[in-house]
Amino acid sequence: MRRPETSVLVREALTRDANDVDALFVLAALRVQEGQPEEGLRILDRVLGINPDYPGVWFFKEKVHRMCGETRQAESARQQGESMEP
Amino acid sequence: MIDAPELVKMKICMAGEAMVGKTSLIRRYVLDEYEDRYTATLGTKITKKSLTVTHPRDGRSVHVNLILWDIMGAPTLRDLLKEAYYHGAHGILGVADVTREETLRELDAWSRSIRTVAGTIPTYVVVNKADLEGQAALDRDTIDAFCRQRGYPWSYTSAKTAKGVEGAFDGLVRQVLSV
Repeated sequence: MRRPETSVLVREALTRDANDVDALFVLAALRVQEGQPEEGLRILDRVLGINPDYPGVWFFKEKVHRMCGETRQAESARQQGESMEP
Repeated sequence: MIDAPELVKMKICMAGEAMVGKTSLIRRYVLDEYEDRYTATLGTKITKKSLTVTHPRDGRSVHVNLILWDIMGAPTLRDLLKEAYYHGAHGILGVADVTREETLRELDAWSRSIRTVAGTIPTYVVVNKADLEGQAALDRDTIDAFCRQRGYPWSYTSAKTAKGVEGAFDGLVRQVLSV
């Protein structure tokens, strides 16, 4: 038995529930990995709309903003992360 | 480093390949339950547990609020998501599967990734699925040599039978308090 591909797990989860926040977070990561950071950020904003406390979301957002050269947004995301970490 | 006031908040991250039993270990430790069916973790799940331990340095009683981060074991996203998951971590519970030799070796890659974010934080290794000793692909000497070389305390666990689970988490908590 092997762990199913992450992309398959994400697709299945989102088919069951389009607002599955875990699946959306991982989908954002997959998009960034595929070279689509702007799409990743758009999905991360959806995650934040559902759960602004989602673990790690602000630090990932910081990283993606930095990848896009958006320093000010990255700093803002980091500050949010620092204030919200459990 | 964590000072040891009366109340300590401690972020512990699980690390290890997929299907080694990270989720099952947390479930056993926190809820004393076991689910035989495998469900892959997507993203991360946070579980909290409070416990009171004796401080390893001065014997004082310390109340610890543990925040356990169960992180999906997908190596392809490990480095991309490391800041998201490991920022502010105080300790790592590295999990290997006694029936899959490579899961021990792979802990090096997890450790490298974590340390770039959290620094050199205490790491405790558990070799899980000890109930499957008839299918063991890792012997005690191999595990011992691996962990000794890296300075990791380790023990066998079985999330299925509960063997060693509480001791491993408690051992890591004491290790973190000792820093």
